[in-house]
Amino acid sequence: MQQTLAKAPVHAPAESPVPTASSAPAKGQTLAKALSIRHLDKSYALGGGRRLPVVTDFNLDLAPGEFVTLLGPSGCGKTTVLRTLAGLEDFESGEILLDSLSIARLPAHHRKIGLVFQNYALFPHMSVFENVAYSLRLRRVAEATVRSEVASALAAVGLEDYGPRMPGQLSGGQQQRVAVARALVMHPDLLLFDEPLSNLDAKLRVQVRSELRRLQRRLGTTALFVTHDQDEAMSLSDRIAVMKSGRIEQVGAPEEIYARPATLFVAQFVGKVNALPATILDEANGQVEIEMLGTRLRAPSPATGLPRDVLALLRPEAVTLGGPDSGLPGIVEDIEFLGDLTEYGIRVGDTLVTSVRSALGDAWKIREGDRVGIGFKEQTIHLLPRTEAAV
Amino acid sequence: MHEIAFKPLLRQAGLIVLGALILLWTLLPLYHMVILSLTPVGEGFAGKLWPDAPTLDNYRIVLTQDNYYLSRFWLQLGNSVLVAFTSCVFVFALSLTASFAITRLRPRFAGFASHMALITYLVPATFLAIPFYQVMGSYGLLGSRWALIITIATFATPYAIWVLQQNAGSVPRELDEAAEIDGASPWQIFRLVYLPLMVPTIVAVGAFAVMLSWNEYLYAFLLLSDEDRITLPVMLGQFLSDDSAPWPLLMVSGVLYSLPPAILYFLARRYMATGLAAGSVKG
Repeated sequence: MQQTLAKAPVHAPAESPVPTASSAPAKGQTLAKALSIRHLDKSYALGGGRRLPVVTDFNLDLAPGEFVTLLGPSGCGKTTVLRTLAGLEDFESGEILLDSLSIARLPAHHRKIGLVFQNYALFPHMSVFENVAYSLRLRRVAEATVRSEVASALAAVGLEDYGPRMPGQLSGGQQQRVAVARALVMHPDLLLFDEPLSNLDAKLRVQVRSELRRLQRRLGTTALFVTHDQDEAMSLSDRIAVMKSGRIEQVGAPEEIYARPATLFVAQFVGKVNALPATILDEANGQVEIEMLGTRLRAPSPATGLPRDVLALLRPEAVTLGGPDSGLPGIVEDIEFLGDLTEYGIRVGDTLVTSVRSALGDAWKIREGDRVGIGFKEQTIHLLPRTEAAV
Repeated sequence: MHEIAFKPLLRQAGLIVLGALILLWTLLPLYHMVILSLTPVGEGFAGKLWPDAPTLDNYRIVLTQDNYYLSRFWLQLGNSVLVAFTSCVFVFALSLTASFAITRLRPRFAGFASHMALITYLVPATFLAIPFYQVMGSYGLLGSRWALIITIATFATPYAIWVLQQNAGSVPRELDEAAEIDGASPWQIFRLVYLPLMVPTIVAVGAFAVMLSWNEYLYAFLLLSDEDRITLPVMLGQFLSDDSAPWPLLMVSGVLYSLPPAILYFLARRYMATGLAAGSVKG
């Protein structure tokens, strides 16, 4: 496989009073560029002068070569951000900078941004070769260069021999790779992915996302990925930006997002979580003593000060199960077999606590109605102010 | 048990009978036309199911223009072809650009414009004959084939826009956006993405426009007068004005005139089914 793609000659955009990314000198440029999105605001007209805000004061920075994922539920504005970056949507205010140079007012094809669409958007009447070559042909690149560039792009995604085929003759995974090759052929400074794995079946999705990550690392191109699938986000990203209602709730490494969510929404969006009301009793030596479910526990002290009333967040895997006398007594209310894990709902007083155990290799069988004792891995407890967390 | 097996059989038999009746109803005029075309000119009104002495001489007469009524047969057939072809080009030019603009560029009032185009069908075409005659007269186009071409394009274009517009919905917008990011202008998107993907509907719309023009009689009769410029249906109509007109020759002309649309339909039948059906249900 080819490691890097050769530079293709492209037309420079029209002169602009503002220095722009694509008007910067090409010599000495690396593929990786930093992206800065500053105070981006976008809304849609509803009629009667009213507007529906879809992205509000959106700020995000991507380091050169970084892979960042926008994660959020449908309608949270993540695709709108992506389309705005690609130049397919206008926006009211804000700034988009690639290596400190504004691209906000450039037309889509002058931004040097590659976009991989959710449905791949391959031209069904053109061969794989022609699909990848399309942008080069529009720019009247010499035929010999087109051939070598397309060959390089197809080699980068492992489809060297698929040039003559039509998109309809390819599997979903192969189509997705052609879409990536088409985005790569123009040597983009930034790669955007709009839920490109959502049309693949579960097994293929896992395989393709690994390939995608390897490819991005090899090419070193800065990438922004959009998904609503937390597994995808966790496995692919250097950092994740969790979005809600057009705003970023939290940006951080996947481990940080999972272990130390900034809000209850983030905690719940990236996985199952027990959000249990607790009261802070004391704080000393980097630890806080809390009372939760009628028992006293020691949790890591949060970086910022917290009110007395808090929510203690515990992932199901941080809740252990034992015999009736081994911890906080509870009754097994429901059991859900998930394949690799089994999930248990344990009733403790008025509260339902979720725990998971490996589904295999455990001699102790738990049945609904059994009395059990539950314990907590105290070092994984994450505290949030109860009022803020409830938002 | 018997009832269960009997019902589908009865239903199928009923459908076969119904189909046979419809087929008979459809083929009877064609049969009549073909039989008369093979009947000697003098026996045109004998009313026989099969002529006593079938002849192909009528075809020779028509093809060699060896009759007063048919002295300009090839010229008038050529007029029909010219009008049909040119109308079709006009319909394509107008409906393809309009449907592209409405569905892909989405200007303001696009929906209103497309609805307004269809409103033209609220008035029966017959009622518009006199206004059209006056308009063409005002522009000095009476007697010109352009008058007929413009009229046919006017009637065919709104339907063509509607069918194309409905089918354009099945072409993902992401294709346009991908092309835009690649650097394509709206014209390049139209030419390199929209047109190739709309081929089935374009064929269907073209066939519709050609057939509308091919079968046009009223406006051709009204707007064209010179025998060198009239289309074949107008000439065939002149047979009816004369009691002694040779009907077998009229039928030969009818047979020959019906061949091009039949061939066209045969060639485009695959697209006719998919292309026109696309307009019936929004995808």
